[in-house]
Amino acid sequence: MQKRAIALLMSVVMTAGLLVGCGGSSSSGSTEPSAGTEPVAAQEGETKQESGEKDVVTALLPPVSGTYQEKITSYIEAFNSENENIEIQVTTASWEDMTQKLDVQVNAGSPPDIAFIGSDGVSKYLDMGMAVDISQYLPAEKMEDFDEGVLKYFCNGDGIYGFPAYCEVQCIGGNREMLEAAGIDWKAVQQNGWTYDEFREAIKKGVKQDGDKTVYGFLFACSGVAAKDYFGIFVKNAGMPAAFDKDLKYAYTSSKMLSFLQDIRAMIDDGSMPKELSGIDAGKRWNMMLTGQTMITGKGLSSFEKSAYDNTALLNAGDPNAVEDSIPVEYIVLPVPVFDGGMQQAQGAVDGYICLTGEKDPDEQHLKNVAEVAYFLASGQRAAETCQELYLKPVCETGRTEYEKLPAIPDKNEDNTAAVEFLTTQVAEARPDIPAELGAKAIRIEDEVILPKFQGLLAGEITPEEMYEAIVSAGHETFGEDGCVAD
Amino acid sequence: MKAMNKAIKGRQSRKVFKKEMMWSYLFILVPLCTFTIFTLYPVLSAAITSFQKYRPLGSEWVRFDNYINTFKSNLFFKALKNTFVYSVITVPVSMLLSFSISIMIIPFRRKVQSAFKAAFYLPAIASGVALSFVWKWIYDPLPTGLLNSVLGVFGISNQNWLGSSKTAMASLIIMAVFAGLGQNIIIYIAALLGIDSTYYEAADIDGAGFFQKVRYVVWPMVKPTTVFLSITGVINGFQSFQNAYLMTGGGPDNATTMAGLLIFNRAFKYFEYGEACAQALLLAGIIAIFAVMQFKLSSSDVEY
Repeated sequence: MQKRAIALLMSVVMTAGLLVGCGGSSSSGSTEPSAGTEPVAAQEGETKQESGEKDVVTALLPPVSGTYQEKITSYIEAFNSENENIEIQVTTASWEDMTQKLDVQVNAGSPPDIAFIGSDGVSKYLDMGMAVDISQYLPAEKMEDFDEGVLKYFCNGDGIYGFPAYCEVQCIGGNREMLEAAGIDWKAVQQNGWTYDEFREAIKKGVKQDGDKTVYGFLFACSGVAAKDYFGIFVKNAGMPAAFDKDLKYAYTSSKMLSFLQDIRAMIDDGSMPKELSGIDAGKRWNMMLTGQTMITGKGLSSFEKSAYDNTALLNAGDPNAVEDSIPVEYIVLPVPVFDGGMQQAQGAVDGYICLTGEKDPDEQHLKNVAEVAYFLASGQRAAETCQELYLKPVCETGRTEYEKLPAIPDKNEDNTAAVEFLTTQVAEARPDIPAELGAKAIRIEDEVILPKFQGLLAGEITPEEMYEAIVSAGHETFGEDGCVAD
Repeated sequence: MKAMNKAIKGRQSRKVFKKEMMWSYLFILVPLCTFTIFTLYPVLSAAITSFQKYRPLGSEWVRFDNYINTFKSNLFFKALKNTFVYSVITVPVSMLLSFSISIMIIPFRRKVQSAFKAAFYLPAIASGVALSFVWKWIYDPLPTGLLNSVLGVFGISNQNWLGSSKTAMASLIIMAVFAGLGQNIIIYIAALLGIDSTYYEAADIDGAGFFQKVRYVVWPMVKPTTVFLSITGVINGFQSFQNAYLMTGGGPDNATTMAGLLIFNRAFKYFEYGEACAQALLLAGIIAIFAVMQFKLSSSDVEY
């Protein structure tokens, strides 16, 4: 009997334990306020105001730069001590977990108030009805603190849904010694850019046979979804800076696309790029750069200069942590070549702080506080320190002011700094005029037609003509012939 | 008489319910709650969502649109075909290899058996992400890559294992076969150890050789295990997602896009939960049909 009693007790505890997680307060679970009552958030907000309780603003943040997650604690302490009514609570996540964590919270209807995302995600959260237009909650001077072109990446229609932390120019980069050995005037290229024909000839000169290893002229990480970066960065310089033209017609059906694809394939057929390009991932690509197996690589970020510099320092110190078989590399930032019918434009990866809500009728004061916190995180000293670590210039005036006060980075290649600043001025303009629904359809074509076919093109399994036909067919099917560019 | 029997049976059943069944129901309650909360509720919820355009702040009913979109999608059928090919190759190859290895391991002493079992089971306990790094290193497409270097010894030119649609699926299948061997071997060895030694002695008396023993003694005796492994293997195969997600992202040219990956992308990349739920339910239906067919076809002469 005693045994049965224990068993009964255990089963009751286990059953109760299962049900514990299912309980939830009505305030967090319900988004529909009952008739005749104020929205829950509003009631809470008022209570907090009356009782002097702090309004909690939650933020989900990844390691934006090397020391960001260490510094964020001191940033928050400073803010919390200066703002008696607001308390920031931060949850940190790795880059790998960031999107998944955020999406789970968004789909559960309880997102953080602020999340760090790429600006291309704005339309997604806007479409979910969770992005908050913060333009009404902050004074104009705070909005004007940010560079207008970069801020637009966080806009849709007339709304502003967050603040940019930085604008990372995605381009290509080379090994200085190898560039000079191939007779490439890289300083002139940094200042004036280069055409596709000039680039094609230059990378041919970089090809060498080193024993059983081939040294390639150019290499881009294209394994899996990384191929999307190659397409996206290069197509901007082929006269198609966005998937839609100014008349909101689908641009990739233009005949410029065909010649662009033929040019892309030609670099592989020349032998300047490896025929196994479609199987080379980002790690392998950077390893090949550091081991001298390629003269130019992509995609290239400003911070790669530091990565190459650090490895060279390890090599010089005889440190075994240096990449195996690597050589001293001085990384040179280079612009993407310009294709026929295009003009030089840079791909800007604009990341920053989006403001979200899980309430249908959120408390206005809370949203104002959220907007204040987002501005705090994206501006001033925070922007300056983050951008310096990423080898970038801040995209807001208060950030630039603080940036000037920071000690200079030792041994920084000033030509690279100037090149990145120049390329930043050429970043393709944001397109907040593209409706979220059209944008979503274009992304679907990109993921289900362009990316797979592009992988096939790089692998030599389909021709540029076949890929172009597939894009035109998908474009016509999705947007109709009248909704597509025909030239 | 009938009424009396019924009354007696009723009394017996009530008695049994009171004395014995109550405890059974009580203990069943725990897994029943688990099943209801973590399986039944999500399935019902997915079925409802499949008729909606899901939004956290208020979903919209769209009738059969998600199913219609799914049936119109060429990619869905390509993903199903890829999943089918992946499963029908991976499962029998993995089972054949694990059965053969088990047969070879079984004559060893217990300690040696354990060492082999541990070695083969190791990939099953390793993280999928860690394994994917190892396999990416093996499948390095350049001539200096590990597998390509081995092929180079035989004069075969380097292959773009994961980057070509001709080899990408085969590469994932090889990876899956080796990753799944350990578990199958453990189960097969357990089944082999359960065969009574008198069967072998009788076969010896009849003058049976090694292959005859395998054919006429071992194979029929482990058939229940084989049926179990084939059904669970096909179910797992149809649900495969991780390898394609980590190794190829579904490419090149959607050659390795599996149904699981397609559903994942639909839900978590595009937030189209309604369509993802519709696809998941269709996949569940297909898996159920295959499982029933397999059971019917292969279990008719099984000795339990």
